[in-house]
Amino acid sequence: MTALAIMGTGLRRLARDRTALFFMVLLPTVIILVIGATVRDNGELRIGVVTAEQTPLATELVTELRNTPALRVTDHAAATARTALRRNELDAVVIVPAGLDATLRSGGTVTIPVLGGAAASTQQAAQSAVAGAVARHAARIEAARFAAAKRGGTFDEHLDTATRLQGTVGAVTVRTETVDATSDYLPLGFSYSAPTMLVLFVFINALAGGAAIIESRRLGIYERAGAAPVRPRDIVLGETLTYLAVALLQSLLIVGIGAALFGVRWGDPLAAGALITVWALVGTGTGILAGTLFRTPEQAGAIGPAIGIAAGMLGGAMWPLEIVPDAMRTIGHITPHAWAVDGWTEILSRGGGIPQIATQLAVLGAFAVTLLTVASVRLGRRLTA
Amino acid sequence: MSPVLAIAAKDLRQRLRDRSAIVLGFLAPVAIAALMSFAFGGGDSYHLDAAVVNNDHGELAAAFTQVLRRPELSELVTVHTVRDEADARAQVDSGQLGAAFVIPAGFTAAARGGSAVPVTVLGRVDEPVTQQVGAAIAEGFTAQLNSVRLTVATALASGAPADTLPALAAEAAARRLPEQITTAQAGTRPLRSISYFGPAMGIFFALFAVGFTARGYFLEKETGTLDRISAAPLRPGVVLAGKSLATLGYALASLTTMALVTTLVFGAYWGPPLPAAALIVAMTLAMVGLTALVISLSRSQRQAEGVAAMLTFGLVLLGGNFVYLAMAPPPLRALALLTPNGWALRGFTDLATGAGASAAVLPVLAMLGFTAVCGGLAALLSRRAAR
Repeated sequence: MTALAIMGTGLRRLARDRTALFFMVLLPTVIILVIGATVRDNGELRIGVVTAEQTPLATELVTELRNTPALRVTDHAAATARTALRRNELDAVVIVPAGLDATLRSGGTVTIPVLGGAAASTQQAAQSAVAGAVARHAARIEAARFAAAKRGGTFDEHLDTATRLQGTVGAVTVRTETVDATSDYLPLGFSYSAPTMLVLFVFINALAGGAAIIESRRLGIYERAGAAPVRPRDIVLGETLTYLAVALLQSLLIVGIGAALFGVRWGDPLAAGALITVWALVGTGTGILAGTLFRTPEQAGAIGPAIGIAAGMLGGAMWPLEIVPDAMRTIGHITPHAWAVDGWTEILSRGGGIPQIATQLAVLGAFAVTLLTVASVRLGRRLTA
Repeated sequence: MSPVLAIAAKDLRQRLRDRSAIVLGFLAPVAIAALMSFAFGGGDSYHLDAAVVNNDHGELAAAFTQVLRRPELSELVTVHTVRDEADARAQVDSGQLGAAFVIPAGFTAAARGGSAVPVTVLGRVDEPVTQQVGAAIAEGFTAQLNSVRLTVATALASGAPADTLPALAAEAAARRLPEQITTAQAGTRPLRSISYFGPAMGIFFALFAVGFTARGYFLEKETGTLDRISAAPLRPGVVLAGKSLATLGYALASLTTMALVTTLVFGAYWGPPLPAAALIVAMTLAMVGLTALVISLSRSQRQAEGVAAMLTFGLVLLGGNFVYLAMAPPPLRALALLTPNGWALRGFTDLATGAGASAAVLPVLAMLGFTAVCGGLAALLSRRAAR
């Protein structure tokens, strides 16, 4: 009962703190929005096209580029294309030269410049993909010219025939096949940003929340509580319940906002619930530990987020660990974050349930037990000292 | 010593005695930039580890393997050997290979006539683009074969007699495609991730100075220090100037340290020294303006802390300190230019990618404009409060 009263006070204190509410709800929501909007594409090559003329053959070439799966094509003016290329907003720029239509119709050869700006390998990838599209276009032109030379008739007539035949004639095709069925990554967009930001912010918020314990210590709240017939054990339990309630509340808000505003499907409810609960316990342990480790609320409020961000980066909450070198991935699993993100990947990308995330739950459980034990022993000692 | 300097020196001394100021201003940004540097150490570029499963043993399969080994693809593709198709599938599945090309039995014979059989590009669900790039390379190779087929088919469709087919095919094969691509360098430097996230993290952590100073101001107000200072024969504004100078000094030291450490240790490039320094100074001035605004918006220590935190996080989110804006959709990039840190990052990106020193002019002006707006607003608000 005493513990519950302490929790009630803690929660009331929090509800009155508008800054805390900003960090708990508004900031995560905005970040989910920004990151979700940024992490949308699966790494298609971004090609800028500068067209010097709006002629039929030039337009057809640009359409051919647009229909190439590996490319995302946007139109640009010559000057902005170069700037975008320099700023890495584009991977390559294709320049459709003036006179392309006339040259091709009159039997000439056209050279199409491809400007590369990024790393050499990205440039070669872009060039290979562009070359494929250009070759498909060129094949039709060549067929039309050849037929016109052999059989007479207009270039356009034969071009129509070639275009029709290109889809049907028994060409040597290239087909793609994936060898695995399920993804190791979180889905893109908001389904990526919502779970990772849940992991990041519940932890950071708990860490920064350590400030409340320091303030209670400084204001002598624990001494006053101790004057009443309240056992230190109850105070420790009360604080633990407060942090747990805050962490769970924040998680549920993020889950709710993610589902309602951003259409995130959180997968198996049991598995998601279990993961949220152990993660809230990890956060609780960390928050109370921070409350006994830092000396001033300012320290907790300032250093807490820095530690939280660093752990989030190491643990794959800021970017997927699949893109970092193997050693960094191994090191990342020192943080509980990596296990939590692994758990969410299993649930969201592969439809995993409790059995599939058993390892992650066990590891996170061990983190939670260790942190909570150390934190309550330290807090208990502070109270009785 | 002038009173402004004395006040600034006192504030700085006080700040540096607080260990969290050292952590936030100097250690944390370096540590986090280092983390990012290690994480993206491999560079964010494409590489294709590929293998060719040759079930054809014909001339064309050999030619395709040669295509993959061409010098134009040296940076992009590394060709590995595999025992058979099962081995290739296993290696693609485990991620050792990015893609594998399976050239089917009878490919050469079929491509020369008869019904064609497709080349298969094996890839993984998580690497769709790697697979598509692989497919594009294969299509580049098949394009020449297909061009001959299409040319002959079109000629036949327009009425060429069927018995001329061998002659047509031979003639078509001898011709070259009428469109070729040529590659050119845009003359820019590739942007390394540390060159973006170095300044981004430096600015993020330096922005904490806004909260520190604003909080310190109200602390001194509440403890009566400010009243005692204003009892001295000082012109109005001296206290504020001193405090601003302290913020300026702290943020400048923090950003400069960040620039030096990331450059010397992690190979970041912040741009030529002069324009880079101009960007750093302009960004620091914007922080001073922001501090004045926060102070004028707040009534207490706690409020100042809250307002500063919200402004700081709002700015870094919009400005692109946490997301690599070059990959973001254009509306987000436009929003970033409403923030001084967004302009600073644009300036640093431009300088780091080889734009001239003049690329810093517009960002510097924008940041100075932001400073002026903040300062003006702060003056307006405090005058109204004084009334």
